[in-house]
Amino acid sequence: MVLGTDEFIPLARAQVAARGLPALPVVTVPHPIGGIPAAAAAAKAEPIVESVLRALTSDPAAASEAMSSGAGDVEAPDDLDRFQAWVMERGWGDGLPVIPPTRERVAAMLAGARRRPEEIVALLVPRLGRATAEAIAANAVMAGALPEHLPVVLAAVEAVADASFNLQAVQTTTHPCSPLVIVNGPIAKRLGVNAGGNVFGQGARANAAIGRALRLTLQNVGGARPGKEDRATQGQPGKYAYCIAENEAASPWEPLSVERGFPSGESTVTVCGSEGPHNINDHGSTTPEGIVTTVAGTAAIAGSNNIYLGGEPLIVLGPEHAATAASSGWSKGDFKRAVWERARVPLGRLTPENIERFATIYPEGFKGKPSETPAPIARDWRDVMVIVAGGAGKHSAFVPTFGATRSVTRRITE
Amino acid sequence: MRIVDPIGTSAAAAKTLALRPRSLEGVTIALLDNSKPNAGVLLERVGALLAARGGARAVRTWGKPGSSIAATPAVIEEIAAAARVALTASAD
Repeated sequence: MVLGTDEFIPLARAQVAARGLPALPVVTVPHPIGGIPAAAAAAKAEPIVESVLRALTSDPAAASEAMSSGAGDVEAPDDLDRFQAWVMERGWGDGLPVIPPTRERVAAMLAGARRRPEEIVALLVPRLGRATAEAIAANAVMAGALPEHLPVVLAAVEAVADASFNLQAVQTTTHPCSPLVIVNGPIAKRLGVNAGGNVFGQGARANAAIGRALRLTLQNVGGARPGKEDRATQGQPGKYAYCIAENEAASPWEPLSVERGFPSGESTVTVCGSEGPHNINDHGSTTPEGIVTTVAGTAAIAGSNNIYLGGEPLIVLGPEHAATAASSGWSKGDFKRAVWERARVPLGRLTPENIERFATIYPEGFKGKPSETPAPIARDWRDVMVIVAGGAGKHSAFVPTFGATRSVTRRITE
Repeated sequence: MRIVDPIGTSAAAAKTLALRPRSLEGVTIALLDNSKPNAGVLLERVGALLAARGGARAVRTWGKPGSSIAATPAVIEEIAAAARVALTASAD
């Protein structure tokens, strides 16, 4: 049987259902058990022991209602205003208006990619939903995407379903992460995926629609609904849409796709389980070392998952900072290594309870270490990701990740 | 109007729950700690109380590589071989 806290019961039920065992007993104690003295946590055991004993020694009750199995078409209100409310009642929306995914619109969307409608692109956790080309297309229609956007969305769905991305965790964690989609290659310009000014903000239909199509697919097909299976404590705005293109024209270095072994001229998506961007303001530095100092100072934070879980924190350099960082002949690797060496969190800046917890997860970094020990922001300098995006101005962004997730790059096939 | 269902179907295959024992007399109880703060504390207290009330023979604890990472197949096999019932922890 499964033990959990009452706050998290919808997630526990979704997980047992996805494993084909909806009747597996789940017994809960009042939330929280973490963040309180151990004796207080232990005291929550006595009131539930009889329930646990019963759960282990008697036949389970009938399974509680799972999410609708879904299959085929659904009858929806004709009136567009009523339709919006109806979508929200079903937990299929994100709060913004959606376009009704009629058969005609979904067929038109599917024409944007050469896939059969029933082709399974991925199985999406936690629900183990079949992300067929058609199901993804329906969510893309809802998101306001155009058929030409669909190949990017399909590649992003494939990428997040890769085991190394750890979608199960990214979908259900209390951490605010959302998949950041980074587009490389000629498709970005052709579709108008913004790589320049206000790249993380509003204004470009491709950024908004592709990002939103992925998010709706993950919520609806993957079965991660806020407050139920999606346990984000606070979340972040990137859970509406989080899609950018790398500004390859303004970068002094090779694009991310080429760095990862794809031929220049090939279009790719890379997905990262990311927090929102943290601004790095540097109006003074004129040398690579100066940019490194400010970037490293912004990146060395006590509240990041990366310092104890590893993973790949991302630096998005604005073009002006990138030009300064590459002056004196610095390569992207030189810059990554320099930031990694400078961006350190002395253990003394962490509380003893947190160090104790980190030590159980990553003993080599935290167990029995003196308080001056400087913890790096990633296990290895090669794990620091660097891309160039944005317009004019002396700003860059630091984007930590969930930690227990690896970025994945996939070719976009049209 | 008719729309295409945006949630589609689930591939979750129905499985059969293992039969429950009539009582915990002489049973070994497995605890699977998901390494969230105080998960082990709560599990072990529940395990100790179950053993005392239900007459279980033993309580053993196993761990996982991290809260968001599944237990290894080897650990699952060990638990299945050693214990009659298992308590696992979910989320926070």
